[in-house]
Amino acid sequence: MLKAETKRQGLFSRLFNPKFVMVYATLGIFLVIYLFGALMYGSKGFTSIRTFTLMFIDNAYVGISAMGMTMVLITGGIDLSVAAVASLTGMFIAYGTSVLGLDPVACMVFSLLVGTGLGLLMGATIHCLNVPPFITTLTGMFLARGVCSLISRESISISHPTIDALAGWKIYLMRLVDGEWVKIKPVAYINFNVLLMIFMVIVGIVLLQWTRFGRNVYAIGGSEQSAKLMGLPVGRTKILVYGFNGFCSALAGIAYVLYVKSGWNLALAGGELDVISSAVIGGVLLTGGVGYPIGTLLGVMLKSTIPALITFNGNLNSWWAKIATGVLLLLFIVIQRIVVNYSARKKAK
Amino acid sequence: MQDNVLEMKGISIQFPGVRALDEVDFTLKKGEVHALLGENGAGKSTLIKCLTGVHHMDTGTILLDGAEIHPSSPQSAISMGISTVFQEINLCPNLTVAENIFIGRQPMTGPRIDWKTINRRARELMERMGMSIDVTRPLSYYSIAVQQMVSIARAVDIQAKVLILDEPTSSLDEHEVQRLFAVVRDLKTQGLGIIFITHFLDQVFEISDRITVLRNGRLVGEFLTNAITKLDLVTSMIGKDMNEIFNLKRAEQKEGAPTVFEAQHIGITGKVEDISLEVRQGELVGFAGLLGSGRTETAEMLFGVVRTQRGTIKKDGQTLTLREPLDAIMKKIAFCPEDRKRDGIIGDLSVRENIYLAVQAKRGFLKPMPRQEQRALAEKYIRLLSIATPDTEKKVSELSGGNQQKVILARWMATNPDVLILDEPTRGIDVGAKAEIQRLMLEMCEKDMAVIFISSELDEIIRCSNRIIVMRDCAKAAELDGECCEQSDILAIIANETPEVSA
Repeated sequence: MLKAETKRQGLFSRLFNPKFVMVYATLGIFLVIYLFGALMYGSKGFTSIRTFTLMFIDNAYVGISAMGMTMVLITGGIDLSVAAVASLTGMFIAYGTSVLGLDPVACMVFSLLVGTGLGLLMGATIHCLNVPPFITTLTGMFLARGVCSLISRESISISHPTIDALAGWKIYLMRLVDGEWVKIKPVAYINFNVLLMIFMVIVGIVLLQWTRFGRNVYAIGGSEQSAKLMGLPVGRTKILVYGFNGFCSALAGIAYVLYVKSGWNLALAGGELDVISSAVIGGVLLTGGVGYPIGTLLGVMLKSTIPALITFNGNLNSWWAKIATGVLLLLFIVIQRIVVNYSARKKAK
Repeated sequence: MQDNVLEMKGISIQFPGVRALDEVDFTLKKGEVHALLGENGAGKSTLIKCLTGVHHMDTGTILLDGAEIHPSSPQSAISMGISTVFQEINLCPNLTVAENIFIGRQPMTGPRIDWKTINRRARELMERMGMSIDVTRPLSYYSIAVQQMVSIARAVDIQAKVLILDEPTSSLDEHEVQRLFAVVRDLKTQGLGIIFITHFLDQVFEISDRITVLRNGRLVGEFLTNAITKLDLVTSMIGKDMNEIFNLKRAEQKEGAPTVFEAQHIGITGKVEDISLEVRQGELVGFAGLLGSGRTETAEMLFGVVRTQRGTIKKDGQTLTLREPLDAIMKKIAFCPEDRKRDGIIGDLSVRENIYLAVQAKRGFLKPMPRQEQRALAEKYIRLLSIATPDTEKKVSELSGGNQQKVILARWMATNPDVLILDEPTRGIDVGAKAEIQRLMLEMCEKDMAVIFISSELDEIIRCSNRIIVMRDCAKAAELDGECCEQSDILAIIANETPEVSA
């Protein structure tokens, strides 16, 4: 008999299944930081639901983009063009509505098509011409930024009833008091962007967990060569993943426009790194094959608690947020290495 | 005949500069195990890759169940019912066992993947192969043997008509091999045609019904397993008489030859304890011992890959300080490492570049070697070692294992060393190439080179060495005279039955 009899998995070994340990780590650190904030600034309202929902509202566009990025990273690739594409989307909508007087919905649909198309094109370049994703998407980034500046080098503000309506639309969180619904105090709400992000998280989970396409994404990340030899449609999957990510970038651009109500060619500079680091903090392995949309969502939340903490402190320079993010990222990469090494050692035994 | 599940006729493939397959025929019956044999580079893998759609044949036809097929990709071959289990596990380590079996063909409920059915059916499949394992664990959690079984489970479950097993036993121990063979016999009775490729002749005789032998891309013959002897089989594989190959004479020990290389009490705490050795001009010293007994570590100390903590290394009576391999190269010491893929060849460079590399390192960065000279050098060694390559510019990764080993040998011979250290130079290469490497080593001894030869195969150590150092538990256990020692003597020392050290 081979040495592989069924061992009933203990709770401990299940918990430390490398599959989930990163997500737990993210959740754990998030809770620690949140608890810290609660102890320090609880009296100032850090723990209020309002603060919590605001974190979502302020970072919804990052979350949307991070869903696409999660998928790209799971295949073992990377996409540096996301922020530039989001910024381009902003320019399309701003220029289209404010200068050309087009309907903003038409501009949005156009942006989504451009984003998806650019993503598919980059995916095809990566797969068919065998150009490394880093280079291909760097090119895509320059291209998108270039077009941004071509459209306008000034910031264009948007003032259009449809945009205002979408941006202003909110669902207030209510509470039942004496048989009557009243707004909770301090007032908390979620807006269109947050719903969009939640929707994309669900789309991400469903795609990755319940479809053959999603499983192929994991297989490619595990070993592209094997995936090919197992007869999986590697090329199609990779191209679609970049296409999906392009779609997410454009969608994130739309969310960003609704958030700031303007378009600027230099908007979201360096934003791609925010997106990538959110995913990595959420447990997506940069080498591919491992990652979960829920983890990424936790990563976005964890990253957004830090600026919140600094705001509540009031005395700290906002650059501390960057430093803290850097430290966090380093911590998570170290944890990832430890987990990977731990499972490798376990196997060697 | 009606019961041929697969017929390949007149298959030819031309690679740049090499005729990889030349009019090869191959037939496979239902319910038989057909062994495909040949030395490295004989065309076995090419034939299989042609069948599985990785390579495309130039001429020839493939009939599957009497109908002509043109597999264009692994995917299409699989859909036709030709599935392959490769030597290296071609599964995804990050996915679960169950998912590895079913990915690409997952049972669905509506638009969703039916995970319950996947896990249940995977468990059933594995149990039928006699393994009750937790199929929801990631594949990387299990040993290579289990992973091999999983890939067979996957291959079988796709309703295959033809199952190709490409060296499936190379990383399994005896027990696991028997388990695999039980599964293979079971599949055979189900009417599957199985192509079995291996280097282990014993296994061929144990499991196969028929044998097809290839040599240099040509069909040598097809034999019934119970109608051929092992000796005849090997002779047909290498095309030469066995006895002729193994008729090697160890180097003549010259009287009073000076000691060129010696180490005194060298060691690194925790890795190697206190080793002393001396090698004389034209002498071949063999290093025997189990894997992990400190042989490789000793070699690495002698070449400066790792620094010694104690002891001295002397060459021509001079004490050396070896901080890095370059120091050793400058002192005319050469080293062929154990893992040629990782530490030896640079696969993407050409044969010429791989050969002149060490010479260039010795000349120094500022004195580049003219291209003309490089080529002449490469051509010289290609001729000298009869490396099978169309020209000097062929990528080394495209050569067979034995030829890659010769390229490394050429690299170090080109530096014209006084001392040559070879760590397992014959591992993973076929009988013919092994004999050739051994012949080359002995020739170098003739030319007054001092050779240190590390090998796990005792018969080749005994055949070639003047003296044999036996390692056990990271220390030198004994030093024997190569002329008058038997395999059993070394085994006894390795097994620690004679504790005293004979000088």
